[in-house]
Amino acid sequence: MIKVEHLTKQFSLNKEQKKEVGTTDKFAFAVNDISFDCKPGEIFSLLGPNGAGKTTTLRMLSTVITPTSGSIIMGGINAVTHPNEARRKIGFLTGSTGLYARLNAHELIDYFAALYGVSNQLLTERKKYLFDLLDMNEFAHKRIGKLSTGMKQKVSICRTMIHDPEIVIFDEPTSGLDVITAESIIQLIRDCKAQNKTVIFSSHIMGEVDLLCDSLAIIHKGQMKYQGSMQEFREKMSEKSITAEFIKTVQA
Amino acid sequence: MIFNIFKKELKETLRDKRTLIMMLVIPILIFPLILNVVVGVSSSFEESAENKTLKIGILGETNDYLALKLNEIPNALGPKTLIPYHGDSLKMKADLKEEKLDIVFIYDSKFSEKLDKMEPTKLICAFDKTNIGYEQRAQKYVQYIEAEERLKRYQTLNIDEQQITPFEIAFENSASNQKMIGELVGGFLPYIFIAFGFMGCMYPAIDLFTGEKERGTIETLLTTPVSRWKFLIGKMLVIILSGLMASFFALLGLFFSINFMDIIPDPEIMNVINQILSLGFVLKLFLLLLPLTVFFAGIMIPIAVYTKTFKEAQSIIAPLNIIVLLPAMAGLFPGIELNVQTALIPILNIVLTTKGLIGGTIDYSLLILSFSVMVVLAGIAVAVSFKQFGKETNILS
Repeated sequence: MIKVEHLTKQFSLNKEQKKEVGTTDKFAFAVNDISFDCKPGEIFSLLGPNGAGKTTTLRMLSTVITPTSGSIIMGGINAVTHPNEARRKIGFLTGSTGLYARLNAHELIDYFAALYGVSNQLLTERKKYLFDLLDMNEFAHKRIGKLSTGMKQKVSICRTMIHDPEIVIFDEPTSGLDVITAESIIQLIRDCKAQNKTVIFSSHIMGEVDLLCDSLAIIHKGQMKYQGSMQEFREKMSEKSITAEFIKTVQA
Repeated sequence: MIFNIFKKELKETLRDKRTLIMMLVIPILIFPLILNVVVGVSSSFEESAENKTLKIGILGETNDYLALKLNEIPNALGPKTLIPYHGDSLKMKADLKEEKLDIVFIYDSKFSEKLDKMEPTKLICAFDKTNIGYEQRAQKYVQYIEAEERLKRYQTLNIDEQQITPFEIAFENSASNQKMIGELVGGFLPYIFIAFGFMGCMYPAIDLFTGEKERGTIETLLTTPVSRWKFLIGKMLVIILSGLMASFFALLGLFFSINFMDIIPDPEIMNVINQILSLGFVLKLFLLLLPLTVFFAGIMIPIAVYTKTFKEAQSIIAPLNIIVLLPAMAGLFPGIELNVQTALIPILNIVLTTKGLIGGTIDYSLLILSFSVMVVLAGIAVAVSFKQFGKETNILS
């Protein structure tokens, strides 16, 4: 379960950024007072055009950055005041996630398992399960730098899931991936739902959203534009396609 | 946890070719290469200068007194050919300038008569001083002829040479061989160790901090339940180790060069050098280099954390090398000694302390002061690194 209330993130602007944005303000809101809930066994989608504040929101949820104000409760833990405890419950995957090219998959997974405090016994079990599931055994001893994009993505998935997180955060997970590789991510999201995990993912690909999500939030310029279930969104649609409805919502 | 981070970062670092070259290959080869080239080139220059048949210009004729005396000089003092100029001093000087001649002797036309009358007479010996060995050769020839002439005069005047020699002066060097070595190379060695310490830190610092940002791995790392300071310390330990290893491999290269390249023929000097390079010295040296390397890591990390690409980080840190090594270079100048003032100047204090350790002249209170200064600076550098690594704007590009 994720409960977000009045979440705000303010960044100070340097001279260059002020010029770019065309403002004299010292600060800018990347996210401004947004609230939403994600329930276990549900896929929650965070939508918005580029620069809407999706990544900033997910970075706050994953505790990489601290909110300026507002609260985030992750699996009953206040992620703002107790980030380390919250992190144990989170798996985080982005489309632009890099991996350590000079390590092999075994070494990388062992390292992240150690960081998450996974016991040796659990590590052995989880590794076997995930390596079999993702068909990784053949290339598990090869240096990651020598793997194909698809193989690397499998290693990324394995890294995200090695500590069996109850909350999984995906930030534009299929961005820049080919259809086959993207499909493995879609399958992972479905599996997470089936395992009653809380799943939140950001995207601007409406087809993906339509296919996967149970509820959604649309943000634009850091502000909440729409929040509700996917079913409600479909029912309230006045445009012909979901994409057109999304654009209308953003521009409203 | 810090050990897990350290282990992983070390493994990755040791698989990076750039770091390996900078940390291991270049340091271990630098002394054998430098010493081989220096010793090889200088000995071959000396040898060729000693064996070269010099063309000597004589202002008069080949049967002049001086020419005859020059011809009498045994070839053991260096082979030569005499070329008479029949009084044409202008042509002889021009030929010297054009390097057709190596040494010229210009003397009075009454040179021989004056010598017979036992009057002082002028003898000009000209040569190009930039040519190795010419000055020594000219001195040998002149001293040989002068000694013979002097002896002749003593005999004519019936003087016992012993009686007109008031002193038998002997200048003795009170400095031990160790002190001499310390003075001659004591500044150079720590300079090399410091330079390699810096370079050894550079690539891992960029790779472990800027590299994490550039490759997009930092974000996932920071979503793990491990405090940032633990990542900082784990990574920093690898950078420090890499810097110390680079210095150690340079020392190892020096040790092998001295012991296996036969560059020091004097067994006594060799014995002193081996005494200097004792385990105790190595431990003291690395104890001094430790806070210095922490300081290096501490000034590189904030830069590496701030910059977004490997190139950007390299373009800032590489010139920093020169700034950092300036105080180290000051330690190479003669006359700059370790005192309370110099012990407070970072880097220079380590060079001078190491120089004192090599020469066996170290004042331990100043060593402690130098060490303390570096520990304080290292602490400040670590604190700055921690502050920079904690900044969201620095971590996320």
